[in-house]
Amino acid sequence: MSITLDFNGKNFAKGKNLDVHYLPAKIDGDGEANVENCFNNYTREATEFGPGILTNALRGYPLMGEKLKVPEGYRGLVLQETEKPISDTSDRKLRLTGVFQDFTYWNYDKVPSNDDPYRQALLLPDVAQALSQPISEEYLEAEIARNKENAKESP
Amino acid sequence: MSDQEDLVVKKENKSIESIDENDEDPDDVDFKDSGKIGSLKALGPFIASKENSRNTVYLSDVPDICKDKPCMLGVDEAGRGPVLGPMVYGISYCPLERNKALEDLGCADSKQLTEGKRDIIFNDINTKEYATSCVGWAVEIISPNTISTSMYRRSKCSLNEVSMDSAMGLIQQAIDAGVNIAEVYVDTVGPPEKYQEKLLKRFPNFKITVAKKADSTYPIVSAASICAKVTRDHALKVWSFPEGLVIKDNEFGSGYPGDPVTRRFLTEYIDLVFGFPRLVRFSWSTAENALADKAYDMEFDEPDSEKPKYAGTKLTKFFKGTTKSGEVIREECRFFKQRHLENVMEF
Repeated sequence: MSITLDFNGKNFAKGKNLDVHYLPAKIDGDGEANVENCFNNYTREATEFGPGILTNALRGYPLMGEKLKVPEGYRGLVLQETEKPISDTSDRKLRLTGVFQDFTYWNYDKVPSNDDPYRQALLLPDVAQALSQPISEEYLEAEIARNKENAKESP
Repeated sequence: MSDQEDLVVKKENKSIESIDENDEDPDDVDFKDSGKIGSLKALGPFIASKENSRNTVYLSDVPDICKDKPCMLGVDEAGRGPVLGPMVYGISYCPLERNKALEDLGCADSKQLTEGKRDIIFNDINTKEYATSCVGWAVEIISPNTISTSMYRRSKCSLNEVSMDSAMGLIQQAIDAGVNIAEVYVDTVGPPEKYQEKLLKRFPNFKITVAKKADSTYPIVSAASICAKVTRDHALKVWSFPEGLVIKDNEFGSGYPGDPVTRRFLTEYIDLVFGFPRLVRFSWSTAENALADKAYDMEFDEPDSEKPKYAGTKLTKFFKGTTKSGEVIREECRFFKQRHLENVMEF
């Protein structure tokens, strides 16, 4: 099976900027949500917990969050599958619904911190880059020279 | 637990302008400028001017005599049971020697009073000279949003705790405002002994009486009860929905689950994703059940509730390294595991 991402640079640039929330809950439903009136209306700043910290609630559950940017060099995309694949092996097609540059990250009753799985997972782009970036000839030679230098110094 | 930051304290006479305005007919005073409730009429607009997703505290003027003479202070609450709307805590106080003023107001057994009668007494407390000269009061409107989020915190905060914090907060604010408190009377639904002990610990210098049905025994508690009840009724009347709902005359019934009007409200105004408007206390089982039936299922991340199960390495672990066919199962790299990353072939 193959997965087609059905968009190009053009509709990518024209993509609707979406207001995206990262919620600490699984919602078993698919459809429109009245985010503006039922949720955004209730977002408040809570600077007593730190700069940029926001509070809100979801079905009575207290949330604490912050506005986050998509990591540098990355773009946020929302993709949608209009037709569910018939079987596991059939081809799939995902369309572009919109794009986002930032989003609101929410924790359930916890100030966002480096402990959050999301932030920990975000280390990957750095690691991936370190592992896959080509190393230039000059850099290698400099490294070898440095190692020789070190070997000489140590008796 | 009510966040201190949520409290919006409106004290009187903050500026010279408000003092000037106090000389005018209290009904005409713009509550927005003075932050004062000078009569029953000003109560609704005052509440409407506050955010209804947060708590609001209001303190009346402290009559001079209450700073001087030893006072009794009554505490009572309104709207504890309903699934809709705020819970309101109220206090009222007056000098011990002026018990007569409470009788003149008609503060006896507030449960026997009709809504109309309560409104009249509330208005009298704020307008009649014999009352304003010696009776002061304060209320805290605990928003349904605060109630839900307190009860749904990771470390749950029960309604009893929310209540006690509010009661003690109001007493403290009366002290800070200069009220010379000698005796405190508190109405309670729970066991009085524990409550009394907690209050005495915090306020060791007062004579504290916690009793069931105190509002029918002590007129000062009755006065507090009237302030709380009238405030709750008005809060519901002026409730405006940030969700954009408009309900004719705010007809949602008493808020008790048995009320058919309330039941209809709870079935009609369900948003599939967000559930109810935040007039509703999500933490009430009536609300929980209605959502379980009608809204999308929602499951929260609750990693904190997982109990650590470590009890040494299991003996059988050593047989688990291979599959039946003899293939070795590779454990996932710790680096990825700790960062909640895994290989995804399908999504």
